[in-house]
Formats: sequence, structure tokens, C-alpha cells
Amino acid sequence: MIKVRNLSKSFADNIVLKSIDFDVLGAEIVVIIGPSGTGKSTLLRCLNYLETPDTGSIEIAGVKVEAKNATPKKITHLRKQSSFVFQNYSLFANKTALQNVAESLISVSKMAKHDALKEAESVLRQVGLAEKLDQYPSQLSGGQQQRVGIARAMACQGKVILFDEPTSSLDPEWVDEVLAVMKQLAKQKQTMIVVTHEMQFAREIADKVIFMEGGSIVEQGTAKQIFENPQHQRTKEFVARSTKSYTSAFDSCML
Amino acid sequence: MQTSLDFQYIIELLPILIKYLGVTMEMAFWGFFFALIIAVAMAIVRVFKLPVANQLASLFISFFRGTPLLVQLFLLYYGLPQLLPIFSGMNAFSAAVLGLSLHFSAYMAESIRAAILGIDKSQMEACLSIGMTRLQAMRRIILPQASRVATPSLMNYFIDMIKSTSLAFTLGVAEIMAKAQMEAASTFKFFESFLAVALIYWVVVMFFTRIQHLLEIRLNKAYS
Repeated sequence: MIKVRNLSKSFADNIVLKSIDFDVLGAEIVVIIGPSGTGKSTLLRCLNYLETPDTGSIEIAGVKVEAKNATPKKITHLRKQSSFVFQNYSLFANKTALQNVAESLISVSKMAKHDALKEAESVLRQVGLAEKLDQYPSQLSGGQQQRVGIARAMACQGKVILFDEPTSSLDPEWVDEVLAVMKQLAKQKQTMIVVTHEMQFAREIADKVIFMEGGSIVEQGTAKQIFENPQHQRTKEFVARSTKSYTSAFDSCML
Repeated sequence: MQTSLDFQYIIELLPILIKYLGVTMEMAFWGFFFALIIAVAMAIVRVFKLPVANQLASLFISFFRGTPLLVQLFLLYYGLPQLLPIFSGMNAFSAAVLGLSLHFSAYMAESIRAAILGIDKSQMEACLSIGMTRLQAMRRIILPQASRVATPSLMNYFIDMIKSTSLAFTLGVAEIMAKAQMEAASTFKFFESFLAVALIYWVVVMFFTRIQHLLEIRLNKAYS
């Protein structure tokens, strides 16, 4: 489904991604974990060409773009194979929930407006927002906005949905409803790549976990392998630390 | 010499002047219409930094902001036909509309560009992520949002343009200012004539200021 080869990216002198290689199979759920500032988000953004990689190639659903000869046309074609859920939702501020979800159907898939709105409504119903169709983003809670964001990504009918820390800017009370929608997508065998700090969630839904640090993939394997039996020293430390901080946060709540 | 104001004369003059308001408003509407088209095109060219077109737009904006409107009108109406005979058929009204459009498009392009650049870049990214092209994103998401930001200043330019149409009388357009000037010259009641025309401009401007206000409320609907 997805083949990434030799992907590198730097911002000025700062090397953010160092020759990344990985594959994702159809219907697979891949979770990328790792410390902050290690290029997880940049990697995800490169897949959608929101960042332009310096070298390497990206292939999604048979559409391959090589960094050295990427044209706007090829890039748009590649982008259509995936859709993106942003950390800050990035909903279209001047459109209602329904219009946000219908937008790609109207302007990209060239669906008739009436059909597009109908389709968008059914997608919003799937994420539990049937009551909020005509609300503008500013009138929705964070959790609702992010569910609209997911619905918008679902409506694109790309082969894979990329989630960039979808719960990181949410108040704790809204996190669960967003994770629930993602779990539901996972059950429907939607191919997903998720960058997240929610370790418990990663453990639960991931078919494959990729641990990144310093712009490289340090280790990858099943959730069980990475969380229970990490091979690499850095992975061991990270997993121990993130599980520990989870427990200590829990403890401090209890006090 | 009579020193007191002849109010009766002002009241009699108002309906006579108002007949010419149509020409004034027509100039302002057409001027604004063409200015808006030129301004949006130049703003997009400048935002995307299209080679050559971007430099041409900069030069255009610099010239039309850097010289007085009256000079531009004279250049267009009295000067251009000498250089390009095809323009000798251009009447004063068209020359005034052309001059106003070019002049105001330069200012409007800058405020539209600023409005576009003020839209959070996440909006463009969201468009690209769902497979839209940059031009589609501009047309369907960015420009509508920018128009909300730009509306107050564009309305100000429109109001300014209504007032600037008064310069068209120097080209011989029979608009409201020209009529006031004629009346003043024939009756020697300069103060009354120009006060009457000032009052009409004022009322018209107040009317459009009110419209501007209503428009802003409507455009802010999604953000309340």
C-alpha cells in the first residue's frame, strides 16, 4: 500500500529526517511514537507533501513520486491517495461542519452538490455529529471539531488516513470521543498512520509500531514487541519512561 | 453685497443636483467593479509570486499609488490619445472609470494581498490535504475568508471612490460636481452650491457606511 524509500528532509542546517524506509500494508494500522522533535510529524507531512522531501520516494496506492522530479501534477495525484487529520483540526473556518466534509467531494471528486451533501451527512453521522451539521467550527467543542476533521478525511476516500497527533491539542475531556472514532475506523479496516503520544491507545489499536528518534526509525515491530519486548536500548528507555510517566501522572491525580 | 446664506436656494438646488447623482454613482460602481477584478488578479499574482507578472504588478502599484489621481486622469484622457490614436475615441466617462479603476486597484490589491496573507496557513494545508489544487484552494476557501478580512477596507475604498468621482468634472463628465460648479458660476452663490453638493456626498457616504456595517455583521456569521 505504502512504500517509503530513502526519505530525507532538512530545514536549513537541521536534518529532520535521515533516510527513512518503511512499508505499510493495506488495512494496516501503523502508530509512530517517539520523543518530541524527532521528525514524526514531518515524516507524516511529507507523505501528504505538505512538506517537500529533499530526497527519496513515496509510493501510495501505486502512485509514486520521487523527490527529485516531483511536479505539481504528480504531487496532487499523490495527495489524493491519502488524507490528513491535523493536530489543530484546521477546519475551513468559513464553512459549516457539513460543508467542511462535502468540500472534497464537490471540488475534487466533482460530485453533484446535492449528492455530496448527502454523502457528507452520512459520514458525519458515523462520527456521531448528525446533530451538528450546520454549525461552524467556532461553534463546536475541540472534540467535535476534531471529529469533523476525521469525517473530512474519511470523505476524501483516500486509501490511507494520516493522523498527526490528533488528540494533542484537546482538553482531556474530549480525548476519548476522538479516540473512539479512530478505533471504530480501525475496526472497519481503514489503513491508518497515526502519530501519537497516547501510548495506551497505540498499544490497543496498532498492528505495527514504529519508534523514531533523531530523524531515524530506531525500531519497528508489532505493538507487543515494541511495548513488551523492545530490542533497542533507546526504545526500552522510551517505553519505560512513557509508561512510568503515565503511572506517575496517575499517582499524582490520586493524591 | 449679500452676506447671509440663501437657504431657499440650497433647497431648490438639491433636487437639480440629485439628477446628476446617477452619473456619479455609475462611475463609482463601474470603477469599483473593474478595480476589484484588477486588484484580485494582482493580489493573487503577488501572493503566488509569479515571475514577471509579480514585478509588473509591483511597478503598476508603485506608479498608481505614487502619483495623484488627477494627474492620472489627465494622462489617460488628454495624454494617451496623442500616443495611441485608438484611445482618441474614448469619451470622458470611460476615461474617468478607467482612471478610477486603475488608481484604486493599486490600493485595493495591497489590502487584498494583506488579507490573503493574514489567513492562517493551516487553511491552505487543509485544502491541499484533501486533494485541491492551490488555485481551487484560493477560489473556494482562501479568498472567501480573505474577503471577510478585506471588506472593511474595500468598502472604505469604495466610499473614497464615490468622492473621487468628483474629479471627473475636470474631464468634462456631467456629474454632480460639474453641475454644482455650473450652478455656482451662473448664480455666484458659490457657498450654497458647494454646500449643497457636499451635503449630497455626505448623505450618500453615510448610506454606504451603514451598508458596510451590515455587510460586516453578515460576513462574521461563521466566527461569532
